[in-house]
Amino acid sequence: MKEATAKTAPAFALKKSKSRAGQIWKDRTLYLMILPGLLFFLIFKYVPMGGLLIAFQDYKPYEGITGSEWVGFAHFERLFQDPEFFMILGNTLILFVMNLVFFFPVPILLALMLNEVRHSFFKRFVQTIVYIPHFMSWVIIVSISFIMLSMDRGMINELLSWMGFEKINFLMSNEWFRPMYVLQIIWREAGWGTIIYLAAMAAIDPQLYEAARMDGAGRMRQIWHITLPSIRSVIIILLILKIGDVLELGFEHIFLLLNAMNREVAEIFDTYVYTAGLKQGQYSFSTAVGFFKSLVGLLLIMGANKLAKKAGEEGVY
Amino acid sequence: MTNKKRFALLVPIIAMLLLAAACSSPETGTAPRTKLKGETVPISIIANLHTPTVPSDRIEKIMEEATGTQLNIQWVPDGSYEERVNAAVATETLPQAVFLKNSASLMQFRGAIRDGQFWEIGPLLDEFPNLARLSDEVLRNTSVDGRIYSLYQERPLSRQGIIYRADWAERLGLSAPSSLDKLYEMLERFTNGDPDGNGRKDTIGLADRSDLVYGAFKTIASYFGVPNGWEEEGGKLKPEFMFPEYVAAMNFVRKLHQEGLVNEDFPVMGKADQQELFIQGKAGVYIGSLSDVVSLHAKLTKNNPDAKLDMHNRVTGPEGERVWSTPGYGAVVLFPKSAIPDDKRLMEVLAFFDKLMEPELANMLNWGIPGEHYELIDGKVVQSPDYERLNKESRPYLSMQVGGPGSIPGFLEAGSTLPVRLKSEKLVKDNESILVHDPTAALDSATFNDIGERLQDIITDATYHYMIGMMTEKEFGAEVERWKKEGGDRIIREFNEALSKQRKAL
Repeated sequence: MKEATAKTAPAFALKKSKSRAGQIWKDRTLYLMILPGLLFFLIFKYVPMGGLLIAFQDYKPYEGITGSEWVGFAHFERLFQDPEFFMILGNTLILFVMNLVFFFPVPILLALMLNEVRHSFFKRFVQTIVYIPHFMSWVIIVSISFIMLSMDRGMINELLSWMGFEKINFLMSNEWFRPMYVLQIIWREAGWGTIIYLAAMAAIDPQLYEAARMDGAGRMRQIWHITLPSIRSVIIILLILKIGDVLELGFEHIFLLLNAMNREVAEIFDTYVYTAGLKQGQYSFSTAVGFFKSLVGLLLIMGANKLAKKAGEEGVY
Repeated sequence: MTNKKRFALLVPIIAMLLLAAACSSPETGTAPRTKLKGETVPISIIANLHTPTVPSDRIEKIMEEATGTQLNIQWVPDGSYEERVNAAVATETLPQAVFLKNSASLMQFRGAIRDGQFWEIGPLLDEFPNLARLSDEVLRNTSVDGRIYSLYQERPLSRQGIIYRADWAERLGLSAPSSLDKLYEMLERFTNGDPDGNGRKDTIGLADRSDLVYGAFKTIASYFGVPNGWEEEGGKLKPEFMFPEYVAAMNFVRKLHQEGLVNEDFPVMGKADQQELFIQGKAGVYIGSLSDVVSLHAKLTKNNPDAKLDMHNRVTGPEGERVWSTPGYGAVVLFPKSAIPDDKRLMEVLAFFDKLMEPELANMLNWGIPGEHYELIDGKVVQSPDYERLNKESRPYLSMQVGGPGSIPGFLEAGSTLPVRLKSEKLVKDNESILVHDPTAALDSATFNDIGERLQDIITDATYHYMIGMMTEKEFGAEVERWKKEGGDRIIREFNEALSKQRKAL
């Protein structure tokens, strides 16, 4: 033992300056610091991906991954042949686009407005107020909306009929589902979404504003020519990440809103996995649907990244 | 004399020797079921834990003593129970008795059962005095391909009925809703007849929710003569929604909705909001589980001390009095072959469960130890108010129960001074004489297992759309056709094949 170490030690010392291993050894404390993160991704993100195998099996819990029969792409075929596949894909994509178009800019606008507030107490007060909904669960948000929108003595419908309009059956209509979905997201997440933008704005060099003021730029001009360009890369990165989450529309949220009257527009992949897969104990099929969903997400994020790079931005990788 | 004395001494010695022999080599016993006194049989069980902590072993010790066994109970929290059982199956480490939570879990195990991984116990049950009392009907509901593999925990067959405001009915001079016409009249008068006497039209008849099964619809449908899920017609099983009675039942609710006799939002309403309508005195009729009367009564009388509730279960419709029935079981116990090597051990395990069905043990599993967890007052159980202690010592053992009041003579009932509770229990029992069973409870259809739930959504959605007037009868028919085309035809065929197979097996 001792001999062995004695022999290798000098060889190691010789290589030290050149080889990659030697370099790693030199910066070992730094590498040690990324180790927990690395392990986290390995253990909780990469290793479980092995479970994706069951998407190609007829997985039975009592036979395990090794014992279950291989069925190739049968589950994917079933998904694509489901008469409701295109309806679900369409719903998922429409909600995603609405989410992107109507929700994504809201935190930016809100952050810009907050950034312009000079009174610091008022600013913090408003910030706290708009953060709070983020900490409420979807159950609460949806229940409050439900109470307000109900046909029987719902506040909004009472108001409508008091003003002489006809009551609107928000909860049971196909037309109102999507606006309701987006508004609830804005309600819950807009405040929380401002945090990163505000941090980015805080990092902008104040000299730029001073220079602009000297040149006679007003508030709006300053926002347009200094604040927005300065946080542009942050916006782009968040946008790409958002696109990567394309199909993560929030199972809990949609599931709470989903009912027999709006299924046509509200059924998305996540709820489909639940009713068609998990509820009937079909782990393989559920996995296949989830797999497909992730693939679409991956393609979209790659596309968005490429576009960002073409536009001269950094992208996420 | 001395000889006799010597002989008397010899008997226990011989007995002890025999016992030692029996203990040292349990496999060589010749008479499997004549167990010698003092021998303990090891039994391992996996059971579902509904309370936060594993119970103290007091009741377990009593069970061991009473049954001559040595128990090894694996308690698994409810939330991860199914995963744990699946993991145990995959690693072949199942204990000798495996409780499955409900009929849905049993359905998932059908594959493994067919695979021959569990003992068939049907033909053995008659050898045990208590197990023999389990209901054939319910056992059949748990069967797989007509064979019985499991013991079951009893559940009431039908809790369905009508709960209504007796004080309102009295004010308007209405009698119990014993027919569909009377039910309609009650709903109409409760809406338009100012039943609360405040001079304003601010009440509705029925409070319903977004649940076609446990809400009002399925119960109203069975009053109309709609089958319970499926029914044979001309020798062929057909789903309920292909019967004209189903449309009649939908028309009834549609009419209620049109005339404002039911809450307008019912297709999207949750249970809490539905009950709130009733509790706040806005609605006067609640159709569903009669057991809900206890909490409804408590909350309603808190709001309005003058409110009175009554219940009714027998509603005469075109096909007489009837009500749909559940399969009648909750959890089931299976016996894996991997843990029970031979018939002899199987008989020992079954003998243990047979003993659990003796009244003293059954009552202990259900209520705890007399004098500690409950008191007997007039022959009825009054539970100790110390909930924490019950949770720690006795309530977890509920999930080890086999059978129930219907199969265990001497099973103690809960005492109650609350008249509505007594009445609801009486009506639940009374329902047993007018039950309509689901003939497919024990039948298997691969397509149904795969996409049945998904297809059912088509019918559920169509039913709601029809009832709130957003769909015509023709459009509803088209949805039924869609159900058939997208897999329903296969389900019908497979259920019919399974039925004929079951008939041959029985």
